[in-house]
Amino acid sequence: MEGVWVALLGLLTAGYFALAGVDYGVALLFRVVGRDEVERSRVLGAMTPFLLGNEVWLVAAVGVLFGAFPRLEGELLSGHHGVFVVVLVGLVAFTAAVQLRTHPWWDAPLVGGALAVSAGWGVLLGDVLGGPAVLWAFGVPVLFLLHGAVFLSWRLRGPVRERASRAARVLAWPAAGFVVAAVVLSGPVREPWCGVGAVLGVALPLAARVVTRRLAFLCTATVCAVLPVTVFGAQAVVDVEAMAHTPTLRALGWVALVVLPLVGLFQWATWWVARAAR
Amino acid sequence: MDALGLARLQFAVTTSFHFLFVLLTLGLVTLVAVAQTRATLSDDPVHARMTWFWGRIYVVNYALGIATGIVMEFQFGLNWSGLSHYAGDVFGAPLAIETLVAFFLESTFLGLWIFGRDRLNRWVHLALIWLVALTAYASALWIMVANAFLQHPVGHEERDGVLRLVDFSALLANPLFTSAFWHVVCAALTTGGVFVTGVSAYHLVRRTTEVDFFRRSLRLGVVVTALAAPALVGFGVAQFPVIGRFQPTKVADAGAGAAGLGLMVQIGLLLVLVSWLTVPLLLRDRVLRLRFVLHLMVLGIPLPFVAAIGGWLFRELGRQPWLVYGLLRTEDAVSEVSRDGMLFSFIAFTAVFVVLAVADWVLIARLVRRGPVDEAVPLSPLVPAL
Repeated sequence: MEGVWVALLGLLTAGYFALAGVDYGVALLFRVVGRDEVERSRVLGAMTPFLLGNEVWLVAAVGVLFGAFPRLEGELLSGHHGVFVVVLVGLVAFTAAVQLRTHPWWDAPLVGGALAVSAGWGVLLGDVLGGPAVLWAFGVPVLFLLHGAVFLSWRLRGPVRERASRAARVLAWPAAGFVVAAVVLSGPVREPWCGVGAVLGVALPLAARVVTRRLAFLCTATVCAVLPVTVFGAQAVVDVEAMAHTPTLRALGWVALVVLPLVGLFQWATWWVARAAR
Repeated sequence: MDALGLARLQFAVTTSFHFLFVLLTLGLVTLVAVAQTRATLSDDPVHARMTWFWGRIYVVNYALGIATGIVMEFQFGLNWSGLSHYAGDVFGAPLAIETLVAFFLESTFLGLWIFGRDRLNRWVHLALIWLVALTAYASALWIMVANAFLQHPVGHEERDGVLRLVDFSALLANPLFTSAFWHVVCAALTTGGVFVTGVSAYHLVRRTTEVDFFRRSLRLGVVVTALAAPALVGFGVAQFPVIGRFQPTKVADAGAGAAGLGLMVQIGLLLVLVSWLTVPLLLRDRVLRLRFVLHLMVLGIPLPFVAAIGGWLFRELGRQPWLVYGLLRTEDAVSEVSRDGMLFSFIAFTAVFVVLAVADWVLIARLVRRGPVDEAVPLSPLVPAL
């Protein structure tokens, strides 16, 4: 029973990093890839249909954290009070700005918010996994940038695609460097496959001209998803003491059993509907 | 002010702002769903135009409201870790269900509704807006279940210093939940009704060329208000015996919140009276010629929001000094965060929420002034799809 909830929490956080990583990467990149206002709107427009669906994975993850791991939730959040405040303020600024952008002056909260969120998650991950905070604060935004660039070169056409592809090829190097450094420098992850898989995932999009763009996207998505999952590989992050007791888990289990397939179905439908919009 | 005071003030400020967004979201989505149902059933294009005009306003409000909701969700763990430590087994369950059912599903449905406008079968598209509305009300339901537990903890036992869930159904049967939930539902419907009435009256006062559009919108708004407001007052009054039994000192403990209660009651009675006086005037559209009445309708837009904040303050301040009534004191639940840390988060969140609320009002005012337009005018990367 406990294992199911750990797996579910892992799935939701992995989904959040893999999907919302696109949002933050595109936000950090769109002013570079798009040269004028028309192009910039197109670049953002490639991401916006998925925005709500992507961001809610975090909300669901925190919900599961609160319901199934109440004693972990309080400690984790209040223990990193300052960083979480920065992440949340960034998240609010980014979410509002990206949806209301009618004028380039919205770009300050949009880019700044995305940067605060990605760097903030980096610092938090570094805190749990070990390694220098600076490495993580730079590394996670770079990884999201690569993820966003790969997404754009998959979803867009024309000169913006060329620029996104070029950005992806350039960004793959520092991203790979970050992953290697993180695997070497961070202590408590005992599973070597995480590191090997992550390095491969970043290395593959390097060959973006060889493999298909969709495959390249799946690779960077996997790397982003592996990031939070490694936290569960680290010792003593989740233990039974932190979890809710059986009656609570049982009540939540029924809800999750009904809701999660529905969410999967409708998230798939979002991508299916957006297929025609390309 | 110490860390506890700052944490409490932060919760009051962020909840109040969040509640403003929520009320309009819940109220408007219902009216949008009604309009779209009529648009799907009838051939008159005015209903489809109403769906998109009110729908755009709804989406802007939702887009900014969801940002405040994310902060609300994190705030318990950030500032009140004592609550999740002690009562998380019981209190966390409805909150987790709320995020899964409401947030997760509602946002996915809404995204599909926005971007599926011309790509989905019209019945599927209609079903989506009702699913959005249904999940939005489900959200209110689970939040009120969680809140009722704080007011009157049921369905639990204490073992090893923490609460455990014993009876999940008791949470749903909590007397502090049932009438309060319907009270909130009716408050949201009233807010939506008064808003649609006021905005329509604004255009009629300005002698709009879209007379038929705003005549129908005004009728919808008045009828919804006239139906919801008496029920709102009824469910409000029904709570007094329950409070008298389970929280006998609430009015005395509420302090400043008692004034909020008084204000709420007066506004509620006023809205019942005015909406029922307006209903006969809808016959043969007599109300459209009464410009004084139309002006009053515009001025009435903020009233439900003021009343709701007043009522909310009463409910929450009257719970003090308890966080979980009779079990956990507020002062014992606050996180071990330094005063500076708490001040930082208070200033950061308050500033962001004020900016969000102002952006919301400015954008809604701009949409309202523009009136119903048929071509998609770029408003934002998200909204032009409407």
